[in-house]
Amino acid sequence: MKILKQKWVTLPILWVVILAIWQFAAIIYGPEVIAGPIDTMKGAAELLEDGSLLTYIGISFYRVFVGWVLGSLIAIPIGLVVGKVKVIRVFVEPVLNFVRFIPPIAFITLFLVWFGIGEQSKIALITYATLFIVIINTLTGVLAVEEDKIRAAKSMGASEWQILVHVIIPASMPYIFTGVRLAMGTSFMAIVGAEMIAANEGIGYLIWNSRLFFRTDWIFVGLISLGLMGFITDRVVEWFGRKVLYRYGVIGSKAN
Amino acid sequence: MSQAPQFDTNTIKIEQLYKSYDTPKKGEVHYIIKDVNLTIRGGEFFVLLGPSGCGKSTLLNMIAGFVSKTSGRLKVGSSEVDKPGQDRAVVFQQADSSLFSWLNVRQNVEFGLKMKKVPKAEREKVSDRYISMVGLSGHENKYPRELSGGMKQRVQLARVLANDAAILLMDEPFGALDAMTRKTMQKELSNIWRETNKTVIFVTHDIHEALLLGQRIGVMSKGPSSQITDIYDVPLSYPRDFTSVEFNDVYKKIQSHFDE
Repeated sequence: MKILKQKWVTLPILWVVILAIWQFAAIIYGPEVIAGPIDTMKGAAELLEDGSLLTYIGISFYRVFVGWVLGSLIAIPIGLVVGKVKVIRVFVEPVLNFVRFIPPIAFITLFLVWFGIGEQSKIALITYATLFIVIINTLTGVLAVEEDKIRAAKSMGASEWQILVHVIIPASMPYIFTGVRLAMGTSFMAIVGAEMIAANEGIGYLIWNSRLFFRTDWIFVGLISLGLMGFITDRVVEWFGRKVLYRYGVIGSKAN
Repeated sequence: MSQAPQFDTNTIKIEQLYKSYDTPKKGEVHYIIKDVNLTIRGGEFFVLLGPSGCGKSTLLNMIAGFVSKTSGRLKVGSSEVDKPGQDRAVVFQQADSSLFSWLNVRQNVEFGLKMKKVPKAEREKVSDRYISMVGLSGHENKYPRELSGGMKQRVQLARVLANDAAILLMDEPFGALDAMTRKTMQKELSNIWRETNKTVIFVTHDIHEALLLGQRIGVMSKGPSSQITDIYDVPLSYPRDFTSVEFNDVYKKIQSHFDE
């Protein structure tokens, strides 16, 4: 059965099996509990037609993207400083390890009070969700820079600043990149929670709101959209790492 | 014209040098190296020979300015060593941990010049010269991960030569290479040293290597409290023939030192 080892054969078979199980489960439990693939597709068509699905995807994605970029831009310099300066690290590390165990979603009520019910509170939440992962990864990267590299640079006359820019940052690039990539995942988790609690738009809002109308198919559409959004963004980020940051030793983790 | 001064800028003078670390037990001091006295002339090829763990790398790191001394005097030229300096370049044992993996061969070699803001055209002239000296012409655009172990050590060598330090500190640089490559590298290092007139301090635990390269060989005793117990002059001319009777006479003499 050599033909079963071919990807173009196995992949469609796998999909057909998954869809069949899904449809089968939908028939057994009824469309109110499990919306089958056909119902879900119909629901998706509905949501696409009135434009709400693309709007919601766009809004959720916008929140994640802005918060994630902002969080990374704040976190990387902090991670570098905390990793480089021991006095600061001794003081900051316990704080980091305390705060990072508070899940972002636990902050949503507080952020609503601080930043209002508009976009700011959601973006602040994503920024928070990104912050600690990227700080800790950057910090770990800085600490993992081989002493020999720093010594070599020193004996070639590099100043502290030059060592930071030309040795420490490039050497910790794989760690920083991993942190940024992981943060994308937590950002998606955080945004859905936030949109369920306090939003009038977005995929999280769609999933939460659909329960009012008993539209299980819309919930499925929301879930699948989230999966696709995450999958595609991760691929883009991974591709960027592989192509642009290759020389820093960033390697992709694509399965094929 | 007057005679060159006895202690020119690349002379190393070490007097009663100690390096210790505190033990958990209070009041008990552990010496890594103890009472080291040594003078290395400018332009000399000096080998530090000793068993592993004897503190020869520590001594080298102290000369480099990476490790501070506990007491004693350690002078390069007329100034006391207290930090790394461009007069002392280091070739590390592990090329992978010391080369900049995100820079290609040329960029690695030009690193020091770039830090000094030497213009690009000038940098290229210098890097071309030393890349060709270590036999890496044609590999300028390769990254360290694309090079063999021997080639990586050549990059390290070119990198320190391009930075034009008077003193080269080499910490078992050929230790991780296969026997064939090591032989070639030893021969080439010897040639480069004679061509460039650098002062070289070369750390090794290999008597054969020490004899192929060094004008003088300082033998260090087993640690802790390591000392330079003997200094051997090697009166053989370069390039050295390790099959000669004279080579083997000195070899035996040094070997017997370790047999005791």
